[in-house]
Amino acid sequence: MASPLRGEVVRLYKNLLYLGREYPKGADYFRDRLKTAFLKNKDVTDPEKIKQLVARGEHVIKELEALYYLRKYRAMKQRYYEETKN
Amino acid sequence: RRLLKQASVSVRFALWDRSWLSVMASRVLGRCVRSLSLSSVRLCLGGTAVRAAAAPLPSQRPFSLLSCSRKTRQVYQTEISSSVVQLCRRYGDQPPLTLGNIEDRVLYVLKLYDKVNPEQLTVTSHFIKDLGLDSLDQVEIIMAMEDEFGFEIPDVDAEKLMTPEDIVMYISDKKDVYE
Repeated sequence: MASPLRGEVVRLYKNLLYLGREYPKGADYFRDRLKTAFLKNKDVTDPEKIKQLVARGEHVIKELEALYYLRKYRAMKQRYYEETKN
Repeated sequence: RRLLKQASVSVRFALWDRSWLSVMASRVLGRCVRSLSLSSVRLCLGGTAVRAAAAPLPSQRPFSLLSCSRKTRQVYQTEISSSVVQLCRRYGDQPPLTLGNIEDRVLYVLKLYDKVNPEQLTVTSHFIKDLGLDSLDQVEIIMAMEDEFGFEIPDVDAEKLMTPEDIVMYISDKKDVYE
């Protein structure tokens, strides 16, 4: 409970929640998945393992950002260039 | 020497006229630009008139509102600022925060949170012990509070907020609400 890595994990959870608000399948879906993913590892006590899992979370954050960029890029492309193709 | 005195008197009268002109101008200006209530303009007018009458040196006579004595301007400005503050309150700002107000909003947010049972919820109920939530839910609650009140709660403080009462006290502390 009072692990020094607790703050790290909470921060990760918060960041992921913020990012999940714009998830295509909905914020609630994302939140449930996120919660189960965090609860699955709630008994992990080894600091090395926790660090590893946090790193995985950071990776997920990057993936999410990439997903949003791609979505934005697609939307822009659709709005500005689809018409000229036809 | 007498002639000089007469001349100075006439100069004084001329300036007197001018100051009245400026007073009229300020009156029109005040009415057009700020559309204040008439009373404040009258207050300013009275102040200027008094100042004009009591001015010992004609050479320092006010010529426009901008060069009016500091006292007059102060009166004028306080009049303006008080009425503007009232206007802003009415149109722009949210209603002022009070302790009861904050408590209502905190409880409202908690009731809307799907994992909280509204019947069990009281001001002093502990999130983890009484409401059966876990620490991740508590993080979500703090995030909802950040959204509701529009400022960020640092993680160090966030982990200490375990009851609705804590949150109310924390927010009132940060927003300078004491009564």
